[in-house]
Parts: sequence; C-alpha cells; structure tokens
Amino acid sequence: MTSLHNPLPPVPHVAGRILDAQLHLMDRQVLDHDGVPVTTVDDLEVSGPALDVEIPPGTEPPVITALLTGSVLGTRIFGGRPPSSRLVRIPWTDVAEVGVVVRLGVSGEPLDASWVERWVRDKIIARIPGGRHDPR
Amino acid sequence: MILGDLLGTPVFDADGGRLGRVADARFVLEGAPHQLMVEARLLGLVVGPHSASSFMGYERNGLTHPRLLARILRWRHRGSFLVLWEDVAAVGTGSVRLRPGYTRYSTALVGPGKA
Repeated sequence: MTSLHNPLPPVPHVAGRILDAQLHLMDRQVLDHDGVPVTTVDDLEVSGPALDVEIPPGTEPPVITALLTGSVLGTRIFGGRPPSSRLVRIPWTDVAEVGVVVRLGVSGEPLDASWVERWVRDKIIARIPGGRHDPR
Repeated sequence: MILGDLLGTPVFDADGGRLGRVADARFVLEGAPHQLMVEARLLGLVVGPHSASSFMGYERNGLTHPRLLARILRWRHRGSFLVLWEDVAAVGTGSVRLRPGYTRYSTALVGPGKA
C-alpha cells in the first residue's frame, strides 16, 4: 500500500513544484487571462521520448509542450482517442498558473480551442434578430 | 508524444517481468524558464500493480476521509510506486521497459516539492 507509512523511500528532493498529470492537470478547466473559460485539458503533449527506441542513460527528460483539447466524449465512452491532427493545442508557454484551474497568460479569443463557440456566435446567434447586441 | 497513449501502458522490468501499468506521470516545474512559467519536465512514472489508472489520488496523499472510500481506494492502489525517468529504458507503443536495478520510490505527495 502506498501511503504516508509506505516503506518505500521518498523521492529525492526536487526544488520545483510537483504536478501529477492525472491529478493536477487532466480535466482541469482552462481560463484565459480575463478569467473567461476557454476549454478543459483533455490530454497533454510531451516532447518525447521516441517510441520503441532505447533511451540512452543521461537523456534529458521530456517536457510538456502543449495542453490538448478536442472532442473526446465519444472516445472516452468507447475507448481510444481522436487522431492527433483533430486535437487542438494550447502551447505550454501560454500557461501562467496551475491550480484548481489552469490559467493562461493570453486571451482565449484567438485560440483554436474556442473556435466552435466563435462559429456559433458569428454564424447562428448573430443572425437571430436582436442577437448582435447585449440584452436590455 | 501524447501522454494519454502512455497512461495505462504495461510496465516491465529488464527481465520481462510485469510490474503493473502506468497510472500517472509526475512532472516537476523546474525546467527552462519561459515568459509565464517554467518548463514542466518529466520526473517519473507512477506504476500501479493492480490498476491501470488512479482515482482522486488517495494513495498519494494523507487524506483518510471519507474513511470507507479512502480505505477502498488505498487498497485498490496498493503497491503503487514511482520510477524516475532515469530508470526508464524504453517506451514502446504497448509497453514501458525499466533499466536493470531500477529503484522504487514512494508515490506520496509529501515534502517540499508537494503540489
């Protein structure tokens, strides 16, 4: 049993904050720099390693390159994952804070992750009478 | 690579003995600094001998309530351990192989580096 009383040795000290992918990143809501919801983290893209290749000792560890999001409801139910080309990437360099939610340091408006919302707004909502201004 | 492909993958030791599955990947924020945040580099993999994934991380923290749920989840994830990136010999499409003499570390999220 892995617990605080586990006989296994603790991990050697690391200076930085520890993030477990499943516990601290996956399925977290993503907010932009104005606090506007953008999407959720469905998966992560890492810089390596190459598959089926022996990793030489001393190889630099992979790093997170992007948060991935997309239409994953079907694959969550039936298994597998969408093709990589169908997943939307939010670069890790845009991430400003990881907490209860993941905060970006950029505006969510131009990100590919919110294109569906923008399309519905521009193509459907805007064509409904009164849909182009704030409700009064 | 996409991390989701790695989660749930069987883990084997250098002799081909099955150790469990990749339940999670542990990163540490201490890579190269960017404008907003430092890089998150892979510290190691959490291996679960009895389950292919983790649920709420009860086996990695000191939470004991609700008592029944905590006991069930700790039992389900018994034997989980962390292997450092340095002990990973190869990552394949359907398996992860560790180096000879790899070290098992506790998965507990305690100490200075805890989240």
